[in-house]
Amino acid sequence: MTHARWLWVGLALAIVGAPTHATGQPAKKGAAKKAEVPREVITALGSADLEAAAKAAEQLGANPLAGAHDALLDALALGLPPAVAVPAITGLALHPAPPDVLALRRYAGHANPSVRSAAITELAGYPDPTAHGAVVAGLRDPVGMVRNAAATAAGRGRVKVAIEPMMQLLAKGEEASARGLAQLADPDLSRKLADQLGKVPDATLVVALGTILKRADFGPDAVKVEIVRAIGKIQDPSAVNALTDYIDATPKMPVRTSRQEAMLIVEARLGGK
Amino acid sequence: MRQLLRPLAVVVAVATLGACGPKQAFRLSSDENNAYALREALASRQLPASPTPTNTSKQPRVFVLTAGSPKTIVAYDLAAGNVLWKADADVQSRIFVGGDFIVALEGKQIVARDQGRGAPRWKVDVDGTFIGVAADAERVYVVNRDGNTWWLSAYAGSSGAELWSADAAGQLGAPAAHGGVVYAPFLAQWLTIVDGRTGKTLTRLRGIDEQISTLRVTSQVAYYGSKQGMFRLDERSASGKRAEATYGQVKIPVHLERTTYGRDAYDPIQQSYTAADRARVLWSSEATTEGPMKLTDDGYAIHYFRYVLGFGNDGELRWAYSHPRVELVASEHTGYVIAGVAANGDVVAIEPRTGAVRARKSLGTTAPVLGATFDADGWAPSSAPEPVDTVGALVTIVRDRDARFDRVKELAAGALAKLPGAQVTSELLAVLADPRAPVRLKDTVVDLLVARRDPASLGVLTQQLAIKTDYLAQTEPDALAAVAKAIAGLATTALDPAQVTAALAALQEHLDAPNTSSPDLVHVIAAMAAIGGGAERAALASHLLLYHADEDRGSDPAWQKAIVDGLTAKPGPQERVVLRYVAQDARSKPGLATMIQAAIGPD
Repeated sequence: MTHARWLWVGLALAIVGAPTHATGQPAKKGAAKKAEVPREVITALGSADLEAAAKAAEQLGANPLAGAHDALLDALALGLPPAVAVPAITGLALHPAPPDVLALRRYAGHANPSVRSAAITELAGYPDPTAHGAVVAGLRDPVGMVRNAAATAAGRGRVKVAIEPMMQLLAKGEEASARGLAQLADPDLSRKLADQLGKVPDATLVVALGTILKRADFGPDAVKVEIVRAIGKIQDPSAVNALTDYIDATPKMPVRTSRQEAMLIVEARLGGK
Repeated sequence: MRQLLRPLAVVVAVATLGACGPKQAFRLSSDENNAYALREALASRQLPASPTPTNTSKQPRVFVLTAGSPKTIVAYDLAAGNVLWKADADVQSRIFVGGDFIVALEGKQIVARDQGRGAPRWKVDVDGTFIGVAADAERVYVVNRDGNTWWLSAYAGSSGAELWSADAAGQLGAPAAHGGVVYAPFLAQWLTIVDGRTGKTLTRLRGIDEQISTLRVTSQVAYYGSKQGMFRLDERSASGKRAEATYGQVKIPVHLERTTYGRDAYDPIQQSYTAADRARVLWSSEATTEGPMKLTDDGYAIHYFRYVLGFGNDGELRWAYSHPRVELVASEHTGYVIAGVAANGDVVAIEPRTGAVRARKSLGTTAPVLGATFDADGWAPSSAPEPVDTVGALVTIVRDRDARFDRVKELAAGALAKLPGAQVTSELLAVLADPRAPVRLKDTVVDLLVARRDPASLGVLTQQLAIKTDYLAQTEPDALAAVAKAIAGLATTALDPAQVTAALAALQEHLDAPNTSSPDLVHVIAAMAAIGGGAERAALASHLLLYHADEDRGSDPAWQKAIVDGLTAKPGPQERVVLRYVAQDARSKPGLATMIQAAIGPD
């Protein structure tokens, strides 16, 4: 269903007050009826009192009932002011369902950077190509806050299609992309990152490689050795800090070649001091 | 200043003439506008039956002056494409062409050169101040000022022997000559026609409602007039009035403000080659016995620096020619082609009716060309015309980086916009995308795009919408408001439904884009509403709901009006539901509910 058609159906039902059941979310086992979602909370969500509305959004987000989720979807469809939209978006994604993507994509293009940052952040968690497309679009946003949110979300959500634009942002020295890429990195990507020396600001590259080293799930150690050596080539003082952090965070036993390499490099760099 | 001084000059002349008695050839009181005398004078001219060069070989030639120390005269055979000769010469005036000689002021002397070889044939000193020179096939005519007396003198082209001279106590302008008569402008009010052989005044014309300060002479026709317009010299000239003579005024676009019909005979600067030669009306005319001057092919051209623009009598642009890289420094209507010489020595011949290039030649000179005199009446190159590329020429003009021509660019953009087709729209959009294009030109192009209403442009306009804000690509939408306005302007035309769908999708992307500014958004909404036919309503309704409670966008009165107008033009049931919801929503921004209620009325 297209955005427009979904909108008409959703809007018409939402405006006349009928339940949309748009979530497609099955009723939770043992869950109470929809009537059990406090009516006053739903009412508060649509009130002009933004503080109360934002609180209601948080409450509905925390509520596992399908009715609570539907109420958030309906409210988002009818348009929420930014102060309410952000908690509503966050709350919606606490209990993700496929129809959320259309609603969140609508807010991913909102004029308010906080709103679209929130939407993009949540979209990364949906296994939907269109959701990931919105994350990638966020990486091209002229507002740094939105790009950072998109990069962080892409890393957290393992959004592979975001790698290429994030590499471009890395070259521009954007740390959020460095961290996001580190989260996305497999051995191939880590080697590609290591090859960026001279093409990327040193400090930013250190962030990317240092963050990879800190990942407990990253390996094998031979690849970490390559990363340690790549960091060792970086003259920026932050390189030594990154290696020191890695040494401190890694147990001495069992012996790891990557840690030993890191120690040798740090000793050499700090030698004479 | 000149205009102010002329009445004074007349007064001075009156006083001076009164003291000098009747010996002077040029007097204030004299027979004038005499139809019989004029008829006789015209009949005495020995003019060819068809446009023909003055030179005895009757070959089309151009005599070019190039820069240097000394300067160089280059004689060039246009028909053969050969340089005839080159000669160094300290030329201080324009060059004039006789039968077997050319003549110009060189240093302080009038110097006639053998036209076949370029060697000096004779020289005469100029007493006092040089005013101007002219030549016909046999004689040279010189005007100079000595004290308070102006002199018109004739010399034999063959020997330099002085044949006669006539004095005037009032200002004489630079003369012109052909067919054995010399035309001498007098006190900016009269045109005296003198027998070139004897110096006898044949008749004189007084401009009753037009100053006479400009002369143009071809092998067959003499024109006289001013910056206002030109008379074709014929028997009807005896009236002295525009309405009763063969008088013509062409429509010179305001963008070509420096354009004149010819050089000012009273301006000493223009008696040599100047930039004024690069802004000329070029025309030929047909003999008539009634009505205004009838221009050949009902049109004319304007040479304006590196451009030549063809117009119809109605002032509508017919064609455009843009000379590559350099300016045309001289031009002449030969009767069949417009001939031009460029600063780099290029020679070009352009078909006056279509703008097709009929010939391209090169003088092969490395020194810059300062100016040129054509003796090429009747020149009609036999080569096939090149395809006319008016769009290309107009585009070249519009894209010209030279800030001197900003007004010309506006003219070209206007002309371009009148041509149909997607390519034209693309070119106009390219102007908007050009960061170096003048703001005023961009404003003009926006207006033209809106007024254009060319349904074939929708695809191109849609393509333009593909450019979006992209931090990585470093792009911003180009002229989004202008494109949207242009699309909205197509609403009343027959559009391809598939293209409308594509345009709506592209517009919606900007509607939904976070960085579309409110002023742009207003036009995007209007465009969607204009062409959408209802298909746009869901997107507009979604947009209204998304921002109706938004502190920034929702509070913008321009946005409020645009979105309400867009949804209330022909609201269906669904739009009414949405509009009523927004109107009743306590969160809706001030003004929005009122506007909706005013638009759709009570429940």
